[in-house]
Amino acid sequence: MATVTATAPRTALPGFLRSRATAKLLTLAAVAALLAPLLNARWGSGSWPHALTVDLSKPLASASDWVIDNRDSHPLFLYFFGYISNAVVLLVRAVYLTLLAAGWAGVTAFGALVAWRVAGVRLAAGTAAALLACGALGMWVPTMQTLALMVVAVLASVAVGALLGLAAGLSDRLDRALRPVLDTMQVLPAFAYLLPVVLVFGIGVPAAVLATVVYAAPPMARLTALGLRGADPEVLEAVESLGATRRQRLLTARIPLARKELLLGLNQTIMMALSMAVIASVIGAGGLGDRVYQALASVDVGAALAAGIPIVLLAVVLDRVTAAAGSGTGDAGTRHRTIGRPYALAVTLGVTVAVALATRLLGALEWPSGATLDIAEPVNRAVDWMTAHLYSGVPVVGGTADWAGHFTTWVLDPVRDGLQWLPWWSVLLVVAALSWLIGTWRTALTAVLAMAAIGVLGVWEPSLDTLSQVMAAVAVTLVLGFATGIAAARSDRVERALRPVLDVCQTMPQFVYLIPVVALFGVGRAPAVAAAVVYALPAVVRITTQGLRQVDQAALESARSLGATGRQQLWQVQIPLARRALLLAVNQGVVLVLAVVIIGGLVGGGALGYDVAFGLAQGDLATGLVAGAAIVCLGLMLDRVTQPTRRSAKKGA
Amino acid sequence: MTLPVPTRKPPTADEPGTPVFSVDGLWKVFGPKAGRVPADPELAALPAAELRSRTGCTAAVRDVSFDVRKGEVFVVMGLSGSGKSTLVRCLTRLIEPTAGAIAIDGEDVRAMDKGRLRELRRHRAAMVFQHFGLLPHRTVLDNVAYGLEIQGVGRSERRERAAEVVAKVGLEGMEKRRPGQLSGGQRQRVGLARALAVDPEVLLFDEPFSALDPLIRRDMQEEVARLHSEEGRTMVFITHDLSEALKLGDRIALMRDGQVVQLGTPEEIVGSPADDYVREFVRDVPREQVMTVRTAMRPASAQETGNGPALRPEATIAEAIEAVARAGAPARVMDDGRCLGVVGHEQLLGVVAGIPTDAGSAPAAPDRAPGAAPAPRKAAPRKRRQATPPAPRTSPEAV
Repeated sequence: MATVTATAPRTALPGFLRSRATAKLLTLAAVAALLAPLLNARWGSGSWPHALTVDLSKPLASASDWVIDNRDSHPLFLYFFGYISNAVVLLVRAVYLTLLAAGWAGVTAFGALVAWRVAGVRLAAGTAAALLACGALGMWVPTMQTLALMVVAVLASVAVGALLGLAAGLSDRLDRALRPVLDTMQVLPAFAYLLPVVLVFGIGVPAAVLATVVYAAPPMARLTALGLRGADPEVLEAVESLGATRRQRLLTARIPLARKELLLGLNQTIMMALSMAVIASVIGAGGLGDRVYQALASVDVGAALAAGIPIVLLAVVLDRVTAAAGSGTGDAGTRHRTIGRPYALAVTLGVTVAVALATRLLGALEWPSGATLDIAEPVNRAVDWMTAHLYSGVPVVGGTADWAGHFTTWVLDPVRDGLQWLPWWSVLLVVAALSWLIGTWRTALTAVLAMAAIGVLGVWEPSLDTLSQVMAAVAVTLVLGFATGIAAARSDRVERALRPVLDVCQTMPQFVYLIPVVALFGVGRAPAVAAAVVYALPAVVRITTQGLRQVDQAALESARSLGATGRQQLWQVQIPLARRALLLAVNQGVVLVLAVVIIGGLVGGGALGYDVAFGLAQGDLATGLVAGAAIVCLGLMLDRVTQPTRRSAKKGA
Repeated sequence: MTLPVPTRKPPTADEPGTPVFSVDGLWKVFGPKAGRVPADPELAALPAAELRSRTGCTAAVRDVSFDVRKGEVFVVMGLSGSGKSTLVRCLTRLIEPTAGAIAIDGEDVRAMDKGRLRELRRHRAAMVFQHFGLLPHRTVLDNVAYGLEIQGVGRSERRERAAEVVAKVGLEGMEKRRPGQLSGGQRQRVGLARALAVDPEVLLFDEPFSALDPLIRRDMQEEVARLHSEEGRTMVFITHDLSEALKLGDRIALMRDGQVVQLGTPEEIVGSPADDYVREFVRDVPREQVMTVRTAMRPASAQETGNGPALRPEATIAEAIEAVARAGAPARVMDDGRCLGVVGHEQLLGVVAGIPTDAGSAPAAPDRAPGAAPAPRKAAPRKRRQATPPAPRTSPEAV
């Protein structure tokens, strides 16, 4: 498909043909007219031609066999991966034991004190309440397992990310090399990271920690580099004019000036680590995620919810506390609350040790068994009742299962069948047309190559199945998201009401969204789509609202002064001016939807996600790895197709 | 517009010693293969637009030469894009010059290695920036002490010295605040204090007051004038504000498109603009506040040397107008008890109206008056005054 790169003849075209979009489309049409009959004649239409696939399963299977055979003998494993693996196990174990030794009271006291120092009294109370709730739900031990894994993973992510970010922040060459890699890593679904790690480390805690690190380090690296590069050039010049050395400039100016970005990076890394630590239960992470995974596998919604609530509480508390640490020190510079001071740290540790000793002496180190609240039973009864009464046959509105069924029959099936019916070359053509219209010929080329790679890998059909789910979910997300976003942009009341909901929704790990949809819709493709919609909706709503609200007030005012109605203002001023934000909302929507649709493979979504899960469960790494690669390609393609052109921005910079 | 002229401390160096900064044939060209532009006389002569289309280069500073004398306030003035900020950054090589020579106290700046250059920046020249360039995470005191910290001065000593400077710029009681809690004028005081704290030989100001409100700006200008008169430190001051330049500058270099179009005292710039650009620039300046009676006076006749109000040679026309109006007679310009000349209504009005008078002869009639002097004479006095070197004016001015 190299011909796609041919540039459009922009000169000597009359009238409407001068429009760049038309020129691009005409070029593509010409290429298609030339190539399509050829391709058709050579390989036929319909699904991806078998002649063009490369069967990777054999070499992959043998590679994975080799790894399994040599894991205990080959020097690479013995002296490199082995040490990493052992160190990770040791560290997680040490943290876990420390947490257990501190007991529930000690951990709660420590969490509350830290929250109090960095974020104030209200969040301290919230932290204590959340930790106690985890215990009350009978989830203290799994919570500590997840926390131990996270502590190690976050420390490693921050170290790796900060080092990479420092390098990229100081060297232009490294920045140019790293940025596209980090950008791409950010759009890939979490599931795609699991298999390569498992191949090397096998299922278990080391693999889970390392997958988490790989997933959570990029935001730290990106934000560190951004912070170091974004420092006010005049401040740096002033520092240089005083004769500072490079080291002095870095330590006294650049790093302190990047404080805000560094803390934001920490916040994002923690959130992504939590998200991944939960998903990594699929590869043996244990803890809360594992409870949810096991419960969902047996459609035990009550047990899933009992483990899901602590995840949500942890997420909200961690997000709020780290976000408060970041925003607490703005330009106004009120840094009276910090954990960094040695005496504060000493006091916090002292109190924790004292509380831990006190509980140990009282013999109440473990969570009192009488004080747990079993919610699985009542929840399951409620779900049973729902299954009996709401699933189907409700007069007029129908039941939730009916809705899911209808959605599957009337939307998902036709879209999937339509996609699979399309000749393979026409799919490539549509991908090229879309991505070239929105972006540049480079993004179009990447998108087409990624799509072709899926065909070559031999997973054309399941990938199109996943694609159909993504398309349906994105359509629903955009309709709902844009409508809500517009409403929130036009009314302060709606925005105020929505904000806390969006805040909570955006902090929750992807995995958690599967629980309520399984309760409502059972298993299948429709619940996967529903979970994806719910997960992607907050981001779309938020970006839309912000984009519309940030429209130049002067333009809006002049429209009002000309007597434009609210509708005219919206359609003629706000939406055209917010075009970039809306495109970004689409892009984010697509990326987030894909991530959850893949995870939906665990609740009957089928397609690529199922292949990965199946590969992991059966130890059939070849199938899993091929599906993982296809997920990467699909993510790349979807991101590039919806990526607004950055050319003008680059030129300005 | 009023121009309250502060008591200006004149340059202390009577005899021209080594200048603090000596700049000779300085070029800064931005763009690909910048070095060939100053080297090639044909390219060097091209106007800016043509140079850009031919080579893709922009010459921000073109063949600039000047000396900054010890103790003077040297103002570089020009509109935005005239290259003045680039020029001042070239002095300490914050921007690397393309060609030419810079010397500080006779030492070649362009030949300095990294350590020597750092030494220069740490101890000899400190800079004050337009947007302050303060570190937002440090207190006022720590910002002021920052330059000393860079030099490796111990914590207690640098804080002590910083506290003195903070008091000197009028920020007592604000040591514990952070820049974000200060107003613009206060922030620039911190910037000024930071530069002063390292006790540099030269202070470099890059449009320090452009971002401030007019009233605050005037306060700060007076602050700088006060500091200069107290300490007599050499200053290089960049500004785009003509009244600021006239108010603070002992000498002014007026820049346009990277070149110095005129270099002289405020009086020379206002009184005898080098070309139409400068003339247009100074058109609205209240000339009576800048010009002195020395340039306006005419030779005294025998009976005039004995009576009439006495004025110093450096008295402004505005002061002379008051004296002449009170006395109703021409005023004498006296220096050390010697009468240099007299100024009367004709000369004073001529200066205010911006009409060149023939100072060398008897009272000149305005050009437009009936029976005016023949036209060719108009150019002659201007030419003569332009040729006057600044040196004779500075030496008797020394007090």
